[in-house]
Amino acid sequence: MIIVLENDMKVTVKTFATLRELFGGTGVLVLQLPENSSVRDLIDALRHRITRASVLKDLENPNSSVKVLVNGREITYLKGLETELRDGDVVAIIPPVAGG
Amino acid sequence: MELSPKEIERYDRQISISSFGIEAQLKLKRAAVLVAGVGGLGSAAAIYLAAAGVGRLRLVDHGEVELSNLNRQVLYSVEDVGKPKVSAAAKRLRALNPEIEVEAIGERITESNIHGLLKGVDVVVDGQDNFKTRFIINRACVEESKPFVYGAVYGFEGRLMTIIPGKTPCLRCLIPRDPEEPSKVPTIGSLPGLVGSLEALEAIKLITGVGKPFTNKLLIIDGAETAFYIIDVKRDPKCPVCGGK
Repeated sequence: MIIVLENDMKVTVKTFATLRELFGGTGVLVLQLPENSSVRDLIDALRHRITRASVLKDLENPNSSVKVLVNGREITYLKGLETELRDGDVVAIIPPVAGG
Repeated sequence: MELSPKEIERYDRQISISSFGIEAQLKLKRAAVLVAGVGGLGSAAAIYLAAAGVGRLRLVDHGEVELSNLNRQVLYSVEDVGKPKVSAAAKRLRALNPEIEVEAIGERITESNIHGLLKGVDVVVDGQDNFKTRFIINRACVEESKPFVYGAVYGFEGRLMTIIPGKTPCLRCLIPRDPEEPSKVPTIGSLPGLVGSLEALEAIKLITGVGKPFTNKLLIIDGAETAFYIIDVKRDPKCPVCGGK
């Protein structure tokens, strides 16, 4: 018997700056996550792919310098890392930059 | 202080903006701006500030012009390679606008010289290429209540936020934790050009009172998609730099 998991969802992740360089290309990824996943779960999934991203590690701090937006709204004004994601959501991860 | 007939002719296109006029032009003439770094951001900012008629520009940079600067640092030409940036920049800006005063200071910005560099200036424009010096400038600007226009670039991206100490979030409120310092920042010249121009615009608005400064918000430019995002930034009451000040 084949079991098809139908309750997975797809979330688009837009990475910026140093993170975009690490993921390469356009820096846009589509992740398949279990239903009811949170921003924290998404970050964990990304860290699984790129272990050397200090930007993702920084997000664990309550006063992180990295901005995370879900559908254009910053998660500080939602439920932080516990913000629940839905199918089709777009998550932007924006590290601070220093070039000049 | 008045405007000469030559100045009235030179600045005609901006004086004719109805909200601007002679009054705003005089405010620019009386003003002094510190351009903290004349690389990619500082080049664009300084050119537009000089062209707009800011009376005194203080350029600070310890670097020399390198060939790899020329993709973005539009103040310089091939013959400037190897020369101190501030002297080449000052020469170019004086040639563009002999009506203004340009000071060239070939120093690295540190905690010990920043307060002296801020003396007599009305606005500070960010032309830095690292976080550490930006935080030195930010702290000093908060202590001395000088508006600081933060700008930065990376790759096809740009950032902008204007800081009015005591009123709006400072750079520490925006970036509470020290990020890893980049060793070399990749960028396409149009991006520091764009952000540097916006920084000049912010300085002009702060000086003249025309328009509204871009405070309490962070502009994120994604040049790869020509997308502009604006997010709210709030003052951190526990900010170690500006909290409670």
